[in-house]
Amino acid sequence: MKYDICIIGGGMSGTKAGVALLSRKKRASVCILSAGRTLNPTSREEFKRLGGDIFDNCRAVSSVMGENRVQAVVTDNDIRVEASAFVLSTGKFFSRGLLSDMDGVYEPVFGADVEFEADRSAWSSEDFFDPQPFESFGVRTEGSRVLKDGNVIENLYACGEILCGVVDVDKSVREVCRNIR
Amino acid sequence: MKEYDVIIIGGGVTGAGVARDCAMRGLSTLLLERGDIADGASGRNHGLLHSGARYAVNDPEGARECIVENRILRHIASGCVEQTEGLFITLPEDSLEYQAQFVGKCRAAGIDAKAIDPKEALRMEPSVNPSLIGAVVVPDASVDPFRLVSANILDARLHGAEILTRHSVEGFIKEGVTIMGVKARDLSTGELKQFRAHYTINAAGIWGAGIAAMAGVRIGMLPAKGSLLVFGHRVNNMVINRCRKPSNADILVPGDVVCVIGTTSDKVPFEECDNMKVTPEEVKLLLEEGSKLAPGLASTRILRAYAGVRPLVADDSDPSGRSVSRGIVLLDHAKRDGIYGLVSITGGKLTTYRLMAEMTTDLICEKMSKNVRCTTALEPLPGSKGVRPSGQGLGSLAAFHRHGEDESKMDKDSEVLCECENVTRAEIAYAVRELGVKDMNDLRRRTRIGMGTCQGGFCMKKVAAALSEELGDGSKAEEFEMQYARERWKGMRPVMWGETLREAEYMRKMHAKK
Repeated sequence: MKYDICIIGGGMSGTKAGVALLSRKKRASVCILSAGRTLNPTSREEFKRLGGDIFDNCRAVSSVMGENRVQAVVTDNDIRVEASAFVLSTGKFFSRGLLSDMDGVYEPVFGADVEFEADRSAWSSEDFFDPQPFESFGVRTEGSRVLKDGNVIENLYACGEILCGVVDVDKSVREVCRNIR
Repeated sequence: MKEYDVIIIGGGVTGAGVARDCAMRGLSTLLLERGDIADGASGRNHGLLHSGARYAVNDPEGARECIVENRILRHIASGCVEQTEGLFITLPEDSLEYQAQFVGKCRAAGIDAKAIDPKEALRMEPSVNPSLIGAVVVPDASVDPFRLVSANILDARLHGAEILTRHSVEGFIKEGVTIMGVKARDLSTGELKQFRAHYTINAAGIWGAGIAAMAGVRIGMLPAKGSLLVFGHRVNNMVINRCRKPSNADILVPGDVVCVIGTTSDKVPFEECDNMKVTPEEVKLLLEEGSKLAPGLASTRILRAYAGVRPLVADDSDPSGRSVSRGIVLLDHAKRDGIYGLVSITGGKLTTYRLMAEMTTDLICEKMSKNVRCTTALEPLPGSKGVRPSGQGLGSLAAFHRHGEDESKMDKDSEVLCECENVTRAEIAYAVRELGVKDMNDLRRRTRIGMGTCQGGFCMKKVAAALSEELGDGSKAEEFEMQYARERWKGMRPVMWGETLREAEYMRKMHAKK
């Protein structure tokens, strides 16, 4: 299966990015791989109305990489999607955009570089109501493009909560749209 | 001023047991607890009703005490005990010679220990490590310590005892060398009150050393922290122990819908006893060792970590204070220190709390020249009287499981608020009305609300609102919700990775206002 743009993650940021991209590039073919539910049905419906395809119950689990480029992603039900550009919008831990174990935090589809505290006891704050460090863990980017082993993946962009730091979802969506070729 | 026969300091299982025994023997009884019942070590342990097998090799007397009490509690506390039985497994790195010695020592202590074929052990308990080379079945069981303490407290009250929680003892009323009662602060109002009694019983666990010091008496205590992990599934149905010299993390106990691995053992300073933290090293050790008992633990979500403090007592006969006395320590301070009217009961185990209470009450009765026999081994506790549930729904059945015949005191067909543990609105109302619940943590200890697999993530808002209404002060809902979130957070932090971290992110989105 081949698209111009493949968005991985059908949540808030993924559907908003889909709508923004299709509004801007009316001829582009765009699909969303969506593993779960979205709290944003308005964007989802709008994306479909603009001609986007949504693959529900499809979780991207691995990627096929070329030289600093993504060639394709593969879902848990064995669909292989090729695209010129990919958008990673899988969110943080609850949506499984980020996985963690005793030793660290990982981005499972691309093995992207993740910003997190090495000392696990510093992942959370003592008081539930204080800001929690793990909420700013996320993938590293340069100009919206995802880093892996310190290098930019040229055609992989990220937006929404999967980003590290304090995230403004709408701003990150706008930046992806501006930067994507 | 009213003068009681006895004042008991401490609302853990020991104090609750002493209060029940004293009240049943007709003594006018007051129990003072600075927090809530089962707040300390009584609520922070495995929930294991020992068969005594664990102690058979090194402490035959402790083993014998355990098996006798184990049989008694299966009867009088049937509503708190789940008759799971236990396995002691030998792994390839352990010794089968030890197993042979172990079986012999168990039998000598009167514990029915039976070596079985490892394949048979796997059939009985499929979660057990399949590489085991030996297995022994013993009469271990699972006991809900919260329910056990609550039932003792309830029965003490039914026999006329007064129970005051949130009353912190700050000193003694002392005349010469005699303790005439205590001064305690009501932590709800800030008022300092005086209570007089012929005898005061110090049953404050590790905090008993501080209580004794206020009376001018020294008890050498060594706080030993034990950390445990609760898993989000009931992986095993039998208690699984390692058949070797007792060590860290070698007991896995099923309890209701979860299971608990423990424990570690580390000396900690007294200052840490009020606020213990489970370290990453302890978590790692518990997981590694636990997975050797049941490999499934390695891939099971961890709900939370917690730690309790064992009140180890330095042996009076060793002036260096280094050797620890095993078993039950009953100190008559009149004989030991020349301070009259004060008795301390400590050491012992959850399993032997009733015996500790009997020994203590015997001593008090002897001092008062009262010839009344102990009946706590014969009379079943509330909730253990062996009747059938009066309601039909899930909530009624769960409440019956927790409160036995007292389930009949709850409204039927009430809405289930906590869906992990099936706690209804009516059970909350009952706990407020009859069990002295004043906040969310009290409610959790009486009903298991929020102790299940969602850790309150789904229910804490509605439970906080319901409790607040039942207490007649609707304005407290938000405060209760915050209290609950903070309490759950404490236990989640040491194990906050993987699925637990997912849940943490979810909880924050649901309950932390931004």
